[in-house]
Amino acid sequence: MKTARVKVSYPDDKIRELEVTIGRDNLIKSEEGEILPESGIKWLPPVKEPGTIFALGLNYVDHASELSFKPPEEPLVFIKGTNCLTGHLQHSYRPDNVDFMHYECELVVVIGKKVKKIRREEAMSCVRGYMVGNDFAVRDYLENYYRPNLRVKSRDSLFPVGPWLVDAGDIANVNNLKLTTRVNGIVTQEGTTADMIFDIPTLVEYLSQIMTLYPGDMIATGTPKGLKDVQPGDIVDCEIENIGILTTTIVSEKDFYGDDY
Amino acid sequence: MNEKTLVKGKLICVALNDTAHLTQLSKSFLKPPHKEPPKQPVLYYKPRNTWCGHKSVIPWEVDVENVARPGMTVGASLGVVIGRKACRVKQENALEYLKGYTIVHDFSLPESSYYRPDIKGKCLDDTAPVGPSIVPVDYIDDYRALEVKIRINGSLKSSFKLRDLHRGPAELISIISYIMTLQPGEVVAVGFPGDKPAVSQGDSIDTTITEIGELSNSIEWRK
Repeated sequence: MKTARVKVSYPDDKIRELEVTIGRDNLIKSEEGEILPESGIKWLPPVKEPGTIFALGLNYVDHASELSFKPPEEPLVFIKGTNCLTGHLQHSYRPDNVDFMHYECELVVVIGKKVKKIRREEAMSCVRGYMVGNDFAVRDYLENYYRPNLRVKSRDSLFPVGPWLVDAGDIANVNNLKLTTRVNGIVTQEGTTADMIFDIPTLVEYLSQIMTLYPGDMIATGTPKGLKDVQPGDIVDCEIENIGILTTTIVSEKDFYGDDY
Repeated sequence: MNEKTLVKGKLICVALNDTAHLTQLSKSFLKPPHKEPPKQPVLYYKPRNTWCGHKSVIPWEVDVENVARPGMTVGASLGVVIGRKACRVKQENALEYLKGYTIVHDFSLPESSYYRPDIKGKCLDDTAPVGPSIVPVDYIDDYRALEVKIRINGSLKSSFKLRDLHRGPAELISIISYIMTLQPGEVVAVGFPGDKPAVSQGDSIDTTITEIGELSNSIEWRK
């Protein structure tokens, strides 16, 4: 099943946040069975109470070599704030005066069960489902301290996720899904989850050795080769086979923050 | 998940903000992998599984083979608690966005490198007590007059004057608010003394900050 969260404006001017399901026919249905037109909704991040967001650096061999890094011997994990989250068909901003900001199409694992010290053989039992994520990075801000640092990886709006959450049971082989990114319709990044250095059970085992994982925690599992700069006005589609297509429009910092700019 | 914490949303910690410690490390920061000293505040998260409070007992973790982990250290910091949404605020106005001050303990494994995020060392369960309460922002005239004292089993192990912070609370809040919009209840630990005392199983740790209060924790006894 695919579940999502959307904001709907009703004729009585009330705005409601609804949990919806997306059927095989792609119809968006509320819990009351009402069919919602896609034009009248705003997509929210599919996880209602997001917890800790883990992300992986250099978890695809080809991407590690693209950045001239040796593949890591243990997972390179960093944490992102929930301020980064936004939904499908929303805006992500490019900071003023930077030279290189790129997308990163990633399979995002959502934890559904509290676990600690789980072995990789049992690790999939705590996975609730999957989303597409776009873990944008602003490379100008990299410094060699806790790299990748928060200034690069924890900015408002720079981690769109969605469009929906697909139940883990609906994906037959999560270790063999095609990832594709298109910028303004042109393919710029292609890969497969088969090329992950540390697979999902390994990552869940690794993190749960360190700490308790809770429902709503997420793991963005890294990105393959194919980084390109994106500019305000660009439209970025991140697609993962059998999961969905997550679309983001890049805007300027000024347009994003409006009155807060 | 953690009813005993007063943190909401985020706990952001500032590393390498003790001026003397930075000076001491300055030569090593010219070598790889750092190559140059940090230009921006060095930030890390203590995620929600770490949050706890005054009087919380800190677990002495064992690994999957049931072997106790190597020793932990304790850092103590002034914590600033956000009172209202702070988005791209100027340093001169930053304190207007605060609700007040508190104390943050960071129990972590000893740190040998600052190059990569230290998830293994800093994200153990129940290792970030915050408390005991929030002192309103106008109770403190000047943070520079405050001193952080850490006592372990009653004996003084560290004392740190906040005038020795490389960057102060207002500058940090401003800089961080240009990275991420800060929300009410989020906490920033503004800086720890560079020399972090080691702690052992069964230890009691009491940190006082003048005018703010005393945060007390103990370490689990497993042996």
